[in-house]
Amino acid sequence: MGAHDLWLLSPQLAMAALACTALVVDLATGRSKLVLWLSLIGLVIPAALSIALWAANPADTLVFFGAASVDRFSLFFTLLFTGVAAAVIVSAEKYASRFQEQRGEFVGLILASTTGMMLLASANELITIYVSLELTALPVAALLAFLREDRSAEAGMKFLILSGVSSALLLYGLVFIFGFTGTTRLDEIFARIGDLQASGGFDSTVPFGSYGLLLGIALAISGFAFKLAAAPFQMWVPDAYEGGPTPVVAFLSVASKAAGFAVVLRILYSAFGSPELAVEWSALFAVLAVVTMTLGNLMALPQKNVKRLLGYSTISQAGFMLIGLAAVSANTSAGSLVAGPQSVVFYLAGYAFTNLAVFLGVIAITNRTNDNTIAGFAGMGRRAPVTALLLAIGLISLLGLPPTVGFMSKIFVFNAAVNSGLAWLALAGVLNSVISAYYYLRVIRAMYMEAPTSDERITLDPSLGVATGIAAFGAVLFGVAPWFLLRAAEIAVRSLSGVAGS
Amino acid sequence: MLEDYFRQYALIGIFAAVAVLVPTGMLLASYLASLARIRPTRPRPPNWRESPPPYLRTYESGLQPIGGPWRRINIRYYAFGLLFVIFDIETIFLYPWAVEYGVLSARFGIFAFIEALIFIGILAIGWAYAWRKRAMEWT
Repeated sequence: MGAHDLWLLSPQLAMAALACTALVVDLATGRSKLVLWLSLIGLVIPAALSIALWAANPADTLVFFGAASVDRFSLFFTLLFTGVAAAVIVSAEKYASRFQEQRGEFVGLILASTTGMMLLASANELITIYVSLELTALPVAALLAFLREDRSAEAGMKFLILSGVSSALLLYGLVFIFGFTGTTRLDEIFARIGDLQASGGFDSTVPFGSYGLLLGIALAISGFAFKLAAAPFQMWVPDAYEGGPTPVVAFLSVASKAAGFAVVLRILYSAFGSPELAVEWSALFAVLAVVTMTLGNLMALPQKNVKRLLGYSTISQAGFMLIGLAAVSANTSAGSLVAGPQSVVFYLAGYAFTNLAVFLGVIAITNRTNDNTIAGFAGMGRRAPVTALLLAIGLISLLGLPPTVGFMSKIFVFNAAVNSGLAWLALAGVLNSVISAYYYLRVIRAMYMEAPTSDERITLDPSLGVATGIAAFGAVLFGVAPWFLLRAAEIAVRSLSGVAGS
Repeated sequence: MLEDYFRQYALIGIFAAVAVLVPTGMLLASYLASLARIRPTRPRPPNWRESPPPYLRTYESGLQPIGGPWRRINIRYYAFGLLFVIFDIETIFLYPWAVEYGVLSARFGIFAFIEALIFIGILAIGWAYAWRKRAMEWT
């Protein structure tokens, strides 16, 4: 422990310091606008530190006796979370007037949750994972209840209780994993499982080779499935999305999901990456993927509320990402080892741009109309041409049509699935994409083909417009030229122990 | 190994049995004693709920209880409860730190001291927040 550890962990520390600073400045001055812009500028520090660390690429990535591992995988996500936090804070500039006295806390809590996510992406030890997960979830529960309405309070309460339940499941699973392997560090768990396999301690008739490990992994994955909004633990999503403040929902939908996938990827590959185990959890995720995307899609079809619709859309998108988790090379001798996790990381980054474009567009429009129904978006193509265009780009990317990043993401995920012998899974994914066209296009149809309910023009605020524009631009850019992002995702995934090593 | 495992549960079972038997045994013995008229009985006067005799009153650390046990608790206690947690956590973590400080400082030098200061600083922000938001004022 020493200066090296602090340097490695500096993005997380800077973000934690920024969260504290935002709270203190709000307490001292009470000027929420100042807090907002100060933290926005402050977000440059963790971003710059992440880039510097990525460039430096230190050989020893373990921090604090192996509690965290700041490799390029975690830095990729650190940068992603910083960007999402910036977009969410910008989007709340006007929206925050609904928070009354709590405007300053909004920024502080978003930054605190982001700190948790950054730690989660680098956590290399079960207890650190659990603590970071709580730090991620608790501020979000408070933020969801910020509107002081019944629906908002319900959203916060549901999220709090269900995240408590999922934490309990997760903890129970982690206890079994610890009891079975005798260590909480992921790399040591990997080594210990290897020893047991070599010494014949595994029973090949039992899934995962042992009932203890089976129970541990199953419970831990169930706990994480809540965070990923994967079936059958997706019930909280629509209610939380409908009731919560829209910027918070955007944060939850993009950053929280990415953090969940980051930690699941790290646990699966760093601790349970041995081929014998990978075959088992690959089958589990294949089933989860089909159920999740089909359920999310079918439930989205009859929705009339855009936020609720986006909630179900989030569930189905999580299903597509799970395909990438199921695509492990252990199923086949030919497949590329990195293709599966690489496609998930690429999907998450592309999804961040796409979904932020959608949510920021929705915020820009509903800030003025205060109407979250699809009917309320009628004629927006004329009333708010720029916003409607950016929102439509986001929706097309969610649907997965070229030339957007959503199309590329799905290509890579399906490709990884086919290459690891899961062609049926890719086929299920394609069918689901077709179903999802109905509800994504319905919003676009309302905006462009239906008569507006009023002639009042809706202008786009400059800061929100810039943020939405960047998100939509990214969604198109990485759809036309995905190579840069794809390469970054590959480098990130290769730094994950268990992916490159074996 | 499996037998060993169940033997450990047998110990827990014995402990649970003792834990249940001792208090129920005491109550049962007291009841039997009252049946045998060894123990004085506690008669309940007709209006014992309104003005209970001293032996039927709730024991509250030797003080006279004020009001019934089912009244509502003021929501302001919630904020006090949270504030208590701040200091509680501080104590929980600082105590072992203080006990092991000699070992820690020998190994990590000034880091061991600064880390505790940062920890106290974070809690202090929470405390300052509560103070500023008037969580400590009753009215």
